[in-house]
Amino acid sequence: MKKALVLTLIVAAVAATGASAVTKGSAPTASAAGAATTCTSGPIGFMGPITGPVAFLGKEQLNWAKFSVESFNKANGTAFTLLQGDTQLNPKLALTVGTKFTANASLLVTTGPAGSQEVIAVGPLFKRKTMPYISASATNATLTQGKYPTFSRVVGSDKAQGRSDGLFMVNKLKAKKVVIIDDQEAYSTGLAASATAVLKANKVSVTRKSVNQKVTDFSSIVTSISDDTNVVFLPWQVAANGQLFAQQMQEQGKTAKIFGSDGLDSGDFTIKGAYVSSFARDIHGLPGTARVIAAYNKKYGTKWSTFGPPSYVSVQVAATAYKAACSDGKATRGELLKNIRAVKIPHSILGITISFDKHGDVPAAKFYVSQIQADGSHKLVG
Amino acid sequence: MYTWDYFVQELVNGLTLGSVYALIALGYSMVYGILKLLNFAHGEVYMIGAFIGYGVLTVSGGAVDPMFPIWLLISFMFIAAMIGSGLLGVVIERFAYRPLRNAPRIAPLISALGVSFFLQNTALLLFSADFRSYDTFSLDNGTLFTHGIHFGPLNISLIRIIVIVTTAALMVGLALFVSRTRLGKAMRATAYDREAAAMMGIDVDRVIVITFFIGSALAGAAGVMVGLVFQRVYHFMGFVAGLKGFTAAVVGGIGSIPGAMLGGIFIGLAEAFSQGYISTRFYDLIVFGILIVVLIVRPTGLLGKADIKKV
Repeated sequence: MKKALVLTLIVAAVAATGASAVTKGSAPTASAAGAATTCTSGPIGFMGPITGPVAFLGKEQLNWAKFSVESFNKANGTAFTLLQGDTQLNPKLALTVGTKFTANASLLVTTGPAGSQEVIAVGPLFKRKTMPYISASATNATLTQGKYPTFSRVVGSDKAQGRSDGLFMVNKLKAKKVVIIDDQEAYSTGLAASATAVLKANKVSVTRKSVNQKVTDFSSIVTSISDDTNVVFLPWQVAANGQLFAQQMQEQGKTAKIFGSDGLDSGDFTIKGAYVSSFARDIHGLPGTARVIAAYNKKYGTKWSTFGPPSYVSVQVAATAYKAACSDGKATRGELLKNIRAVKIPHSILGITISFDKHGDVPAAKFYVSQIQADGSHKLVG
Repeated sequence: MYTWDYFVQELVNGLTLGSVYALIALGYSMVYGILKLLNFAHGEVYMIGAFIGYGVLTVSGGAVDPMFPIWLLISFMFIAAMIGSGLLGVVIERFAYRPLRNAPRIAPLISALGVSFFLQNTALLLFSADFRSYDTFSLDNGTLFTHGIHFGPLNISLIRIIVIVTTAALMVGLALFVSRTRLGKAMRATAYDREAAAMMGIDVDRVIVITFFIGSALAGAAGVMVGLVFQRVYHFMGFVAGLKGFTAAVVGGIGSIPGAMLGGIFIGLAEAFSQGYISTRFYDLIVFGILIVVLIVRPTGLLGKADIKKV
């Protein structure tokens, strides 16, 4: 009797769980797109690598996102909150967080995720659920070619980065022989291809290599870099890997210049004399940023790089679109998407005008190149 | 391009990696030899060893400003990691494998996988998913990496020499222990026939505990080596290393101590030369391809012996 009761309970629990899953899974797109919430006090999603290999980046983005919400609320009398999701720069985790976010009817807009491969992972789901999302660091060129209609970003595309990096290597570093090593992720392979095209068009000899993001032993690859190589280009996402790679080059006495993409533009990559590109310039000294920087530093500290401010702007865009959608007292995801495309911030803290084209790109966005100095600071050189 | 110094440099790269795989493989092989158990939690013991080394380095002031001379510090890291990992191995044996010693062979195998996930998630809980760095390049201004043997374009850094020499010393020590001591003889007897060994008065439980301790201690040493050379440690690092160590043990002939040593070095060299001469993208395919070929040509591994049963 007792056994039968337990069995019945288990069956009932399983059935209930299944029913609940089906209900959630079969929620119609229209209802998600049309979900209304209490306006100007709803949550804004944040997807970022708060822990994991690039936690420095995620924490910085999170702090700037929090600061942005606080600043926006203070200036506009709103009460938006930030709903956090840790993706660890992992597409599978990004999809898990994305699924939770889309199932939350009160969540109408998301900022992030950080990596292009994560954007690709959540893209179809967000398209189905009409979830608008604004990344502060995903730069793969294919993301804004129409396949991900709810995606926007406040930074430039790798098409522009590959071109500017390639031209810098040709014109400023006088490169004749370049080794390009991708890290097998969408961001990296796309950027490597783009830079390769520019270098080859300028008659530079290019050798392509590839290494998994989880690898820490680069010694065999380093050995294979010939002594007449001028530049090693690392379009990588994990700056700590770039640091290890450079140290293993030093260990083997290799003297080629290292050029890292925006993924290496962080405190985890401190190789003196190396070059890094970045999708946002150092905002210190830019017009109108002093007050923002002072307020941020006071609350969150002074240790931040160029990854943080775009996160501030992405939340600013989301909140602006949200507030506009609330003018009639209710908002939907579809409405927010439309409003995001219409947002215009003429004097953003990034030093450029933020406005979007029909695919979610900011036409004014560009890339910068800096050289790492002995004290770890970055000097703008291109 | 492919000169002799290039070959020697890749050889050193392969030997460094092979040393780590060999030390991990030894643990797999020793435990399999005694218990016929595939201890899939072994990769995680290696990971914990790496974290213990990191902990010692951190409490000693870190790489930038250590409170001990560099040699003493590295010795402390090795000793602490080996003792800590060894004890962890003993605990795993006591609670996860001993109760299942007479159960069907699938039961301890599942238990091993469970322990592996348990340790991985415990590390995740304790240390978070953040990557930690030994930052050994900062130790004494990079002496470990910039000093060593420099001969023309050939550079063999001090840290790689330390890793290779330490591994060789540990292997020789283990070989002598197994072949020259009473306890080693007891281990060989237990591996040959556990029941007969027990009937001859050998304390089999004690032998098994010691085997787990030694195998796990070697994995702990391997963890510190990886931390010292490649610097980064994280909760998931044991998975691939464990898989490669297991592959090395199988290639060498699982159950054979010299086989594990040979298999580890073989896999390390295969990985380095594949990357250096063939492809940096598909080297894992090549390494595991070697495993398949070895198993087809010689199912018992390079130095393994076929089980002969009286029929």
